[in-house]
Amino acid sequence: MNLLRRLNFRRKLNLGITLIVLFVAALLSVFVTRIAANALIEESKRRGAVLATNLALRAADPMLSTDFLRLRNLVDELLNVDSDIVYAFIMDDRSQVLAHTFGRTFPLDLLEANEAEDGHLAVRLLDTGRERIYDFAAPVMVGGREFGTIRIGLSRTKVLDVVNGMIFAISGLSVVALLVAVVISAHFAKRITARIGALKEHAEEIVRGNLHLPATTSARRNCWEQRLCGRTDCPAYGDTERRCWYVKGTACAGCDGRAYPAKLAQCRQCEVYETFAGDEIEELADTFDVMAHALRAHIAELRETERDLTRQQGIMRTILEVTPDRLALLDEHLRYLSVNKAFADSLGLTPPEIIGRSDFDIFPRDTAEMRVAENRAVLTSGMPIYREAQDHRDVIPSAGGSNAAPDFGPGRDEWFHLVKVPVSDETGRIIGVLSTARDITAIRSYQDQLIQSQKMESVGKLAGGVAHEINTPLGIILGYAQLLQEDVPPDAQMHQDLQIIEKQAKFCRKIVSDLLGFSRQTQSQKKEMCFNNSIMEVVSLVRHTFSLENVTILADLDDRLPVIYGAPEKLKQVWMNLLHNATGAMPDGGLIKVRTRLDIMNMTVTAWFADTGTGIPEANLQKIFDPFFSTKPVGKGTGLGLSVSFGIIEDHEGFIEAHSPLPPGFIDEDMPQGATRGPGTVFRVVLPLEPQGAADLPDTDPRAKVQEEEPQEYPNNENRTGEGTL
Amino acid sequence: MRTRFLAIAALVMVIAAAIQLWWDSEPVTPVDMTRRAEVKAPEAVPAITYAYLPQYSHSTSYLRHRALVEYLQKSTGLAIRQVFPDTFEAHRRMVERGEIDISFSNPMTYVLLAQSGARAFAGIVEPSGRATFRGQIIARADNSAIRNEQDCRGKRWIAVDPYSAGGYLFVLGHFRDKGLSESDFAEIAFAPGPGGKQEKAVLGVYAGRYDIASIREGTLGILEGKVDLSALKVVANTREYPSWVYAARKGLDPDIVRRIASALFALSENDPEHERILAAAGMRGIIPTTDRDYAPCRELFSKLRLDPSKVGLE
Repeated sequence: MNLLRRLNFRRKLNLGITLIVLFVAALLSVFVTRIAANALIEESKRRGAVLATNLALRAADPMLSTDFLRLRNLVDELLNVDSDIVYAFIMDDRSQVLAHTFGRTFPLDLLEANEAEDGHLAVRLLDTGRERIYDFAAPVMVGGREFGTIRIGLSRTKVLDVVNGMIFAISGLSVVALLVAVVISAHFAKRITARIGALKEHAEEIVRGNLHLPATTSARRNCWEQRLCGRTDCPAYGDTERRCWYVKGTACAGCDGRAYPAKLAQCRQCEVYETFAGDEIEELADTFDVMAHALRAHIAELRETERDLTRQQGIMRTILEVTPDRLALLDEHLRYLSVNKAFADSLGLTPPEIIGRSDFDIFPRDTAEMRVAENRAVLTSGMPIYREAQDHRDVIPSAGGSNAAPDFGPGRDEWFHLVKVPVSDETGRIIGVLSTARDITAIRSYQDQLIQSQKMESVGKLAGGVAHEINTPLGIILGYAQLLQEDVPPDAQMHQDLQIIEKQAKFCRKIVSDLLGFSRQTQSQKKEMCFNNSIMEVVSLVRHTFSLENVTILADLDDRLPVIYGAPEKLKQVWMNLLHNATGAMPDGGLIKVRTRLDIMNMTVTAWFADTGTGIPEANLQKIFDPFFSTKPVGKGTGLGLSVSFGIIEDHEGFIEAHSPLPPGFIDEDMPQGATRGPGTVFRVVLPLEPQGAADLPDTDPRAKVQEEEPQEYPNNENRTGEGTL
Repeated sequence: MRTRFLAIAALVMVIAAAIQLWWDSEPVTPVDMTRRAEVKAPEAVPAITYAYLPQYSHSTSYLRHRALVEYLQKSTGLAIRQVFPDTFEAHRRMVERGEIDISFSNPMTYVLLAQSGARAFAGIVEPSGRATFRGQIIARADNSAIRNEQDCRGKRWIAVDPYSAGGYLFVLGHFRDKGLSESDFAEIAFAPGPGGKQEKAVLGVYAGRYDIASIREGTLGILEGKVDLSALKVVANTREYPSWVYAARKGLDPDIVRRIASALFALSENDPEHERILAAAGMRGIIPTTDRDYAPCRELFSKLRLDPSKVGLE
């Protein structure tokens, strides 16, 4: 039976048909031939009976007339007429043989072998040893009286020869039928299995993902060709893949808009269905095509959805990966379900190393305990937690976020804004905690700066007020000191003391003047002025003095002679301050390079004051413009120079900034051979050519604009003109 | 599945075996064909022979006269056996040779038999009640060309036998009286074969093979049921002649003749048993006659210019 199951379908079909034909042939041989043979035997017996009865009738007259010759002729004729007749003889009513066909002697036992019964024909099968014979005994009746008996013998063996011939013929026909059936069944099986094989290949193609191969390969007519409807708006029109009864909402009359297979009941009435519907295999192939069609549609939808999901996933991942916020999702057992890159970086791990672990696995014990307690509180209460925390308690100091927050150097605290919110499922049950930590160190720094600025503003205003108040007494002190000097001899001790008073009073007046200037309580007239000239005047003034301190000034000014709208004296004060600061940073001498450039595009002009001095520590860079910030010893500087300069530049709607150390290449080529230099500092002053109301146009902050367009660029040597040592 | 398959195969084999058994189940009688001997034709038992002129088949003759013969055997105590000559001529010759002791024949044949010494001793009463009978000329009813004897001229005629009284000779004499001789007919044929000649003549006309037939009166009645009698018509009847006659051969013991004659005469229509015997033989009674009663027949011979002694030699 396994062997049978392993046979392929085609062989099974062939074998089955062959067996059926063999079975039928066997049935024919056994039953039909037997029945037919029996009928033939019966017919022969009837023939024998007819011959015997006929002979009995014909023998009556000759028997009456005792015409032995005619009787003999009668039996002889019978033998001649029918070759199956073995013998014939006639007996009278005394069982005496009147005529027979046995020649000279007569087999006596034959007389008793059979006899007519009560005037009726009797048939008996005799076995002579050599053959079997049907013996017929027919009475010769005249007027109801039995005159004698006719006996004839019909050879059963000869009849059986005919039967055997018939069996042979039927067997031959059966063999021919078997051969024909095998040939036809082979052809039939080939066709059927070829179609099934094609279906199988098609199914395999579908499994392989090739959904575009049609299962029905044969060319076929379509419904619109049959009906000539011309309904191009019909969904079935032009669809060579699917039969119309598989298509929903066809335009043909009678279509009720239902989909397959509900509409099939309607379609069975349609002439198109009657014409085109094939057998089960074709229906199967059609169904395959429809299935492939539907699969294609579904797969296309799935792919579209997948693309969409992937895109959204990508966006989400990008957001999560790019955001500096540290995100973590914990389940109800407070194990990490998901973390972003910022969170993992903060721990020096990768996200896969964190997922599935608890706080105790990745944090120090005390930190972990605090976090777990906090998270558990969120889980149990369902209330979110918002708080600020310093890094040493909640995050590892070396963690990320430094790219977003300003680096204040090692040892600085980092501040984070922590948000922990409960996560609920659709039933409202809390199933986890979402933790967000945002680095707010920079914001904290700005807050500090703001507080300091506000403080300084107050101090400035106070100082301004105080300066204004002490300006008059100071003038009086100075005046009296000068007057008193005239009253004493120049070489007197008092004169010298008065000079000291005058000098210190002037120093105080200078402080007061600076304070007033810083607090803008002094005004100076603005006018159109040459930017370069303004700088050159100051440079010329100090060049000699500076050279005595071994400081060289190089001027690289824009030869386009930029003209600005400003207060010349104030600006000169700025330049003087910057040059003095530079000299102050170079106690052993050095090089100062002054450069100006006009920016027509942005309508600004920029000046750089670079030195080769000691430079400014990064931490101080933000503070140098604060009033009274000074690195000089007490009595050497007021700490107001840069803050006054800052105020003047701001008054001109420009900005000033400092960079230290010097950007590479800024001054190196100007240095003398073999000279050494410090890190250096460069101050950059940007002024608008035509100042506008800054309050009116807040968006046109030149600082923002310039930073945006040339944040780190410095004019190179190739562009400059008018270079020379002034 | 295998079990079911085997079961079906076994069932088919059992059925095939059953058919085989049924085929060979016919009873057989063994016969030894080797024990053989010569057989001889049985010899006839000595008896008074009784013959009926073979105007019908032997079977009909036997059927008609069987009861009468049995009656004679019983009433006379004589062994009487009916014999069946094949033709009129054979009958006449057997009477001549003494092979027929009692002859029952038509009167014209009797005239011939009388020439060999046979003598009439009885005659029958016809079913019509008369002791005479006649011949008839018949034609098809739809043959409008034949309405009387004259219309028969030039026609095809089938007669029973050259010795047939009613079936030929009476009608020939009738035609002579009407002026027609044998040469006036296109053809005169006689019914072929032994026995049944009256019927054959009727069938010859009925089938259209012949235009007219000459038959003994009463034949049509015998054929009723075998032939559609309405398709036939009687064209003419001959004159009356003495009916059929019993004659004893020359030299038969007169005592036997007397015993037989008295037995015959004793048959009465009124006796149901006798009536059955008479009816089977086609007669109503048997009456004594003598040779002289058959003078009309001899006259007919002379009219036809036939020599009774030569009739039958032709």
